[in-house]
Amino acid sequence: MQGSKSIATKLILVITLCSALIFAVTLGYNYYQSRLVLEKELEKNARNLAMSLANRVERELVSVSKVTDGVARSLETANYSETQLHSLLQATLANNQEIYGAGVAYEPYAFRRTSRLFAPFYFRKNGKINLIPLEASYTDLPYVYWDWYQIPGELGKAEWSEPYFDEGGGNILMSTCSIPFYEASGGVRHLKGVVKADITLASLTELISSVKILKTGYAALFSRNGMILAHPVKESIMNETFFSMAESRHDNALRQLGKKMVRGESGFVLYKSEGGTRNWMYYAPIRSTGWTLAVVFPEDELLENVRKLSLTMAAMGLGGIFLLSIAVIYIARSVTKPLRSLVAVTEVIASGNFDVELPSTRSSDEVGALTNSFRFMITSLKEYIRNLTETTAAKERIQSELKVATDIQASLLPRLFPAFPARSEFDVYASMDPAKEVGGDFYDFFFIDEHHLCFLIADVADKGVPAALYMMVAKTLLKSEGQRLGEPELILSCVNNILAADNDSCMFATVFCAILDTRSGEVRFANAGHNPPVIIAMDSQKPQYLALKAGFVLGPIADSVYNAERLTLKQGDTIFLYTDGVTEAKNPEEQLYGENLLLQALQDAPKGNLADLIHCIRSEVNRHANGAPQSDDITMLAITYRGAGAAIKEN
Amino acid sequence: MNIETSKESTTMVVKVTGRLDAVTSSEYEQKFNALIADGETMFIVDLENLVYISSAGLRALLATAKRIKGKKGLVSLANIGGSVKEVFDISGFGSIFPMYNSVASALTAVTG
Amino acid sequence: MNGFPDNKKRGKQPWFILLLFLFLVAQPSCTLSASPSPRLKKASFLPLWTPQSQFAGYYVAFDKGIYSRHGIDLTIVKGGPGLSPAEALRNGEVDFAVLWLTTALQHRDTGTQLVNLSQIIQRSSMMLISRKSSGIRRLEDMNGKRVGLWGGDLSIPPRTLFSSRGIRVREVLQSGTVNLFLRGGVDVTSAMWYNEYHVLLNSGVDRDELNTVFLQDEGVTFPEDGLYALENTVQKDPLLVDAFVNASREGWQYAFAHPEEALDIIIKYMRQAQVPANRMHQKWMLERMRDLILPCKNPAAFGTLDKQDYEAAGRAMQHEGLIQGYPDYSTFIRRHNAGK
Repeated sequence: MQGSKSIATKLILVITLCSALIFAVTLGYNYYQSRLVLEKELEKNARNLAMSLANRVERELVSVSKVTDGVARSLETANYSETQLHSLLQATLANNQEIYGAGVAYEPYAFRRTSRLFAPFYFRKNGKINLIPLEASYTDLPYVYWDWYQIPGELGKAEWSEPYFDEGGGNILMSTCSIPFYEASGGVRHLKGVVKADITLASLTELISSVKILKTGYAALFSRNGMILAHPVKESIMNETFFSMAESRHDNALRQLGKKMVRGESGFVLYKSEGGTRNWMYYAPIRSTGWTLAVVFPEDELLENVRKLSLTMAAMGLGGIFLLSIAVIYIARSVTKPLRSLVAVTEVIASGNFDVELPSTRSSDEVGALTNSFRFMITSLKEYIRNLTETTAAKERIQSELKVATDIQASLLPRLFPAFPARSEFDVYASMDPAKEVGGDFYDFFFIDEHHLCFLIADVADKGVPAALYMMVAKTLLKSEGQRLGEPELILSCVNNILAADNDSCMFATVFCAILDTRSGEVRFANAGHNPPVIIAMDSQKPQYLALKAGFVLGPIADSVYNAERLTLKQGDTIFLYTDGVTEAKNPEEQLYGENLLLQALQDAPKGNLADLIHCIRSEVNRHANGAPQSDDITMLAITYRGAGAAIKEN
Repeated sequence: MNIETSKESTTMVVKVTGRLDAVTSSEYEQKFNALIADGETMFIVDLENLVYISSAGLRALLATAKRIKGKKGLVSLANIGGSVKEVFDISGFGSIFPMYNSVASALTAVTG
Repeated sequence: MNGFPDNKKRGKQPWFILLLFLFLVAQPSCTLSASPSPRLKKASFLPLWTPQSQFAGYYVAFDKGIYSRHGIDLTIVKGGPGLSPAEALRNGEVDFAVLWLTTALQHRDTGTQLVNLSQIIQRSSMMLISRKSSGIRRLEDMNGKRVGLWGGDLSIPPRTLFSSRGIRVREVLQSGTVNLFLRGGVDVTSAMWYNEYHVLLNSGVDRDELNTVFLQDEGVTFPEDGLYALENTVQKDPLLVDAFVNASREGWQYAFAHPEEALDIIIKYMRQAQVPANRMHQKWMLERMRDLILPCKNPAAFGTLDKQDYEAAGRAMQHEGLIQGYPDYSTFIRRHNAGK
């Protein structure tokens, strides 16, 4: 379960994070690029819009100034009578609907020597054209001191006045185009007067005010002094200038922007409005009046679509990532589910149950392959364990049989001590420890007649069952032939001939065979390739190996000749027989126990009791072996002559 | 145990190194059986580097020699010394096999 | 005195006065503050010009009911072009009016018995402005240049200055706008510190582009706005005069103490009078009025016409031949609260 969790979690984490990162980068780049494109597009659109609006305003103004200029030029080229002048003005007004009022104002005494001021002015009212003599109506301040007269007069060029509200107080914006005209006398041009044409800016400001860009974007018109002429905030019209707005906002950048406008520049700027929103503004001059037309786009609204799109994309992306996560979870589950089943099954198998059902796999993917491998493994394991069980059973059977064989073999050797409790002339003791379950060594002792004890020790070549079988035969033959023949050399040659027949495998045994005369202590013996025994004499400090003739081993070759030898044991002397299992016992360093150590051990061993002697040597050999496995059968036999007198005494 | 063989004219010289005991004797026998199967009959077994021989080893020597004898062949031993010589002496094997002090003298004796 | 950019009308003032009057009567808040108690004395007042912060004290006193509290049912007549407060006083059209000292001395010289009730503005706030780019840095540089001067009494201070320095300029009569100067029609323009100077700034001209000469700094220290009435009026009802002066003074103090509220009030009256109202401009004007009305040297001197300033103005005008003579200081001014 933990594994599946971590795989699923890892997959989800990696895939979700990676896709989220890729998505975020893509979205960010898209937003950035869209914004750039939009801004470029915006500038183009803003310029086009501002230009078209400015041109529209310009067209109207230019046509008016052309008409006005035409009147001024006419007045310069010809002397108009009062009647002609009235007709001219009336015709001008009648022919030019865009002009609200038109008039001519003369310099003092310039029209007539007799009257100081003369300024006829025609204007529209209720569909009719009415006359106002300006020299009469401007009572407080004569017309010559008004901007519309004074400025073009002083500057000597056409001027559009700063816009003003109309005289009726109807909140209609007006502006006046004034053009000076001159009279040449004596080669000097004198100002003769100013032609003026009033227009209402109502339609223009309405046009500009009606411009809606996005939601709150707008167009605005500023005068040459920065006065607001058209703006969505009605209260600011003719009340605020660009510079007073900058002052109230303490915004010097805004003031600098206003100065650029007043200077007749155009541009595309990003500025902060009073509310703190960022606005794009394109501004362009209206050349003939020095006014400025501006279009304003709130950045937020401009980017709203991009933002909406980005938000939608973000939402879609999040949804996609969510779906992806679900898909990943599903796949991770479907991958790890059979794995989890396998884990569960493996645990059952580990506990020893091979008969569990493996999860069925439909897929041919790695998990399917793994499941199939598992199935194969289980089958193999089952097969192996069955074989192992069978082998083990067989081995156990053999083992138990060998155990029986061990018992049988052991039972063949005389094991009951003291062996002859009635005979005090000698003591005898022997032991045999097979290296395997059954051994090839054996010993034996038996009476041939009342006074002759035959004793022997033998070592069958090799170990194990073949040696044990051979040993059975040899022992049986030696005992039967020994009792029949009564001479050691005869016993050996007779048994050899029997064994040599049909002995293809060349099995053989080394045998030391001896017969003790219990009355005299005389020992007749013959040797068939066996290790020489040790004589532990009462009158000698050191035990000694018996020097004897070798004699060929018993079994391989018929007609081998064995020699009889003799020695006499004195009272208390001991003859110690052994097999090479004693002298060739090895320690872990592969060192042999050896003849010398044996002699030493025999010298140091306790005398008197043969069982103690043999157990002592056995433990010495064990000590030497130091845990190394016993490689050969260890067999020992010892006889001590007590003397014939002992028996007589007892008797 | 290691067994090296070399052919000297008609005689196969078998050099036995190491231990010849119950564990290795079957290998020794198999090797000789293979050589006999190849038709070899004249053998000189060089025991110079044999450090130990057990009763099972003696049996293997004897069994192979007996088999070769059955094929009208002959096994000679060369360079027997040390503890192996003692074992041969004790067991009486020394009187069974022709034994030589060197492979060369064995060869001379065999081929001569 | 000039309004904010205004090409406004002439010959239609009675209509406006009527409108204002009707408005005042109809205004419920006015009715509340100027409660129709029978004890209220009716009086009328004419400022120099259309509503603006220059007259904030009076409009604030009116709007906050301070005049009513002082027992006056006051009517503020809307001023403007073509309306001469001095003539309105002489003709008995109004009881109180705002006049410059120079104007008052001229009219006194021609027989109108004007009495200074209170000198509101303590000094001259007039200035001569030129563009630095024109090369005119000092007064002397104006010699021979086109200098815009207002017509009438407002030309007295600069003319006195030029005359005393022996500077001859080409005078151009300028209207109520700064456009003539902005477009380059004149090299130097007359301006009030509290008004036209700021209009120029608000038309996109920076301070450091302008060269300014204060008449006050050049020794022409003619005090400007003062409250005037005919001697008749003063003698007839000195308590009314005291009440008017005290209420006006209280209005100014309230306006300076609550400038934003004062601006709200003044802009309200400007809108009613349909004159362009620019809050930043009115704010500037109110701040300058504070500088001009509350001279730091002596806060207690509020409304006092300095005798030395009076005599200096009289001497200068006499020297320029603008007046034959000028009355004794004590007969020209009315001691404050003399009615009590």
